[in-house]
Amino acid sequence: MKRPSIMLIALLAVTLFGAAGAFAAPAAQAVLTIGVDQEAVGIDPHIVTAFSSMRRIDLMYNRLVRLDDNFVVVPDLAESWEVPNNVTYIFHLRKGVKFHNGRELTADDVQYSLQRILDPKTASPGRSYVSLITSIDVVDRYTVKLNLSAPLASLLDGLTSNNCSIVAKEAVEANGNLQKTDAGTGPFMLQDWIPDNSMTLVKNASYFEKGAPYLDKVIFRVIPEQASLLAGVKSGDIDLATISDGATIRQASKDSKVVVMSKPGLNMRIFSFNTTKKPFDDVRVRQALAMTLNRSEILGIAEFGMGKPTGPVPVAATQWAVPVAKLPYASPDIAKAKKLLAEAGYPKGFSFKITCSATYEGGLAVAQVAQEELKKIGVTAELEVVEWGVYIDKWVKRDFETMIELRGGSGEPDRFLYRTFYSTGGVNNFLFKDAEVDKYLDLGRTQTVLADRKASYNKLQTLLTEKAPAIFLYCPNENQVMGKQVSGFKLVGNGSLFYVTFTKVKR
Amino acid sequence: MFRYIVKRLLSLIPVLFGVSIIVFFLVRLIPGSALEMYMGTQVEATPEQMIELQRIFGEDKPVPVLYVEWLGRILQGDFGYSLRTGRPVLPDILSRLPLSLELTILSLALALLIGIPQGILSSLKRNPFSDVINRVIGLLGLSLPQFWLASLMVLAFANFSGWIPMGNYIKFSVDPIRNLRMLLLPSLAIGIGLAAVIMRYTRNSMLEVLQMDYIRTAKAKGLTKRVVILRHALKNAILPVITVAGFNTGYLLGGAIVIEEVFALPGMGRLALYAIYQRDYPVIQAIVLMIATIFVLVNLVTDLIYAMVDPRIRLDDGGR
Repeated sequence: MKRPSIMLIALLAVTLFGAAGAFAAPAAQAVLTIGVDQEAVGIDPHIVTAFSSMRRIDLMYNRLVRLDDNFVVVPDLAESWEVPNNVTYIFHLRKGVKFHNGRELTADDVQYSLQRILDPKTASPGRSYVSLITSIDVVDRYTVKLNLSAPLASLLDGLTSNNCSIVAKEAVEANGNLQKTDAGTGPFMLQDWIPDNSMTLVKNASYFEKGAPYLDKVIFRVIPEQASLLAGVKSGDIDLATISDGATIRQASKDSKVVVMSKPGLNMRIFSFNTTKKPFDDVRVRQALAMTLNRSEILGIAEFGMGKPTGPVPVAATQWAVPVAKLPYASPDIAKAKKLLAEAGYPKGFSFKITCSATYEGGLAVAQVAQEELKKIGVTAELEVVEWGVYIDKWVKRDFETMIELRGGSGEPDRFLYRTFYSTGGVNNFLFKDAEVDKYLDLGRTQTVLADRKASYNKLQTLLTEKAPAIFLYCPNENQVMGKQVSGFKLVGNGSLFYVTFTKVKR
Repeated sequence: MFRYIVKRLLSLIPVLFGVSIIVFFLVRLIPGSALEMYMGTQVEATPEQMIELQRIFGEDKPVPVLYVEWLGRILQGDFGYSLRTGRPVLPDILSRLPLSLELTILSLALALLIGIPQGILSSLKRNPFSDVINRVIGLLGLSLPQFWLASLMVLAFANFSGWIPMGNYIKFSVDPIRNLRMLLLPSLAIGIGLAAVIMRYTRNSMLEVLQMDYIRTAKAKGLTKRVVILRHALKNAILPVITVAGFNTGYLLGGAIVIEEVFALPGMGRLALYAIYQRDYPVIQAIVLMIATIFVLVNLVTDLIYAMVDPRIRLDDGGR
């Protein structure tokens, strides 16, 4: 047999090595696809209010401080801080943090960002979190000092808001605003945005967290239907989806192909009273209704049990929340409720309207259960189901008797309670004015010793439950549904996607 | 003919003017405003911030003044900025037009390809059995709700990636094959219902025409069945079908809202829906004007096709 020629062997070897070379080509990109049901409405962190926008900003920007998954304030751009007296805060910034345009972040950028937030011309929703700041001093390249006009215990928590992100000044000046522009320092950078379709973010290779992010790309896909979102996760088309519909979550939990992460969030379901409209101007009537509604039943029916009953401070904020069992009206007492109604002059009950909407926030299901339960004390509720825009309009004009609402609570009690229940609070749509509640709200905001603050807020939670400008029902769960290929993701109760920074995808 | 077209195009001006007044004032009668939606129930603003916000959202002047200002800008081609996103209105709307156009053409093509032959066949009464089958299928096509059919398709095809858009819509100019694959199911969802309508119109029209004397004459002359049906009967029966097709084209070009929602397609329908939800006045006004224009143009094209198909129809009423 003829010996194979050297040439042939050489050719074979080259081919084999070539093929091996092709297989040793650069590893495939690690891409996470996130399904969301709403498109972002602009991405300027100092201007936007929509949750959908916040989820993108979670990944593109940093703030001075952020919340971890237990609502504890931890360093973000500031690696440490001092509070020499209760109207002065000094932040020491990390060194070597780069904006996505390559420039290093310094104290000047913090000063610029906070000033932009405080400027009335910006009309920033973040202003109310930091409104007591009178001046921002640049002490040196990496140190910035905030001076307040009065103590504000919730300042640090307020600074964790996406509305208080630190932005690059030159980007704002070049574009007027940042609605379409990325001017952040975050783990991911904006590459591409096709509205109502997808947004592509790429890894920030110079992110200050060593090794992170692990993903090369994050793609947001807008898929309006909840059922389509679940179908997408099951088929592997999307890796992670934020699903809020209870029935869909239940379906997902039964499916072994997907993983459901669920935990009580900071949002709060409440039954609001317009305390200026009869008969709800009489606290006894409000208390009677508070004694009748059964939180567990409403939670079980309206949200398929996916949540936890709560008082005025979201139950997930374990540092501050008084357990529901220790608050008044923890469980229904129909006899007492009827007695109170009789005392108030309504022995035969009365009828009134509950304003709600068919959207998730509008709580139609909650209203329906409440309607049934209130029959037990002879009270007839008529449901006024309106379109979402009309619902908001009625809320703004205070044109309602009672309403089902979904409020965004906070881990830090002052941030939510002050604006909501202070007699001149910006979102006090109950038109509730109570001197004692005001007193404790002011105390809680200015006290600096933790034990004192805890005492004030404990008292406040009991007061608010007793005076019932609203009935505090439950905190629904935050849910994320993901495929088994996703690891390293953690849920934060305010819906933040921050932990995508540490997420990996295995294919 | 040319004069006729010009006259019809000129009629666009009073139509659009009327539509602009109606939409501008009507949409502001709905309770709720873009500013309120933006603030929601969580945001606090100081009085100075509110003044600035009212200026940004265009609520600082009386409505008639705002209308005149808006009209002036429109005439210069400036359609303003979305109150929701701050993006310029016209480019966003125009960028969605190709998708709506594609969806319309595909749906109509499917509907005509299925509906007309079915309609003809069922009008020939070959045997009562197939007649019943056709009628039942037709009824199903009419009664099946579009959103239900669409949702079923999404669930059934979720595992075959590439057939369901799922928020990664690819334009025709970028990748025609994948684009057509993604639009096939949505077009089918629309087309089935439309095919049923067209089938019925075709069948009824054909039944009428086949009774006519000239058909009997044609048969007597010894022409083949195919020539009789296609050349003589169909040409006369097709007119009502053109009307229906034309009307539906105008409607579809305005955006198939339900289909776009279920299949997550970035079309004009979804843009209009969310603009209305969020009271995004500049976008609503611009889209309504665009749809009005589309309707007028589609009507014009329909009339021209009529004239081409039926020589008895004379378009210009001058010169009798």
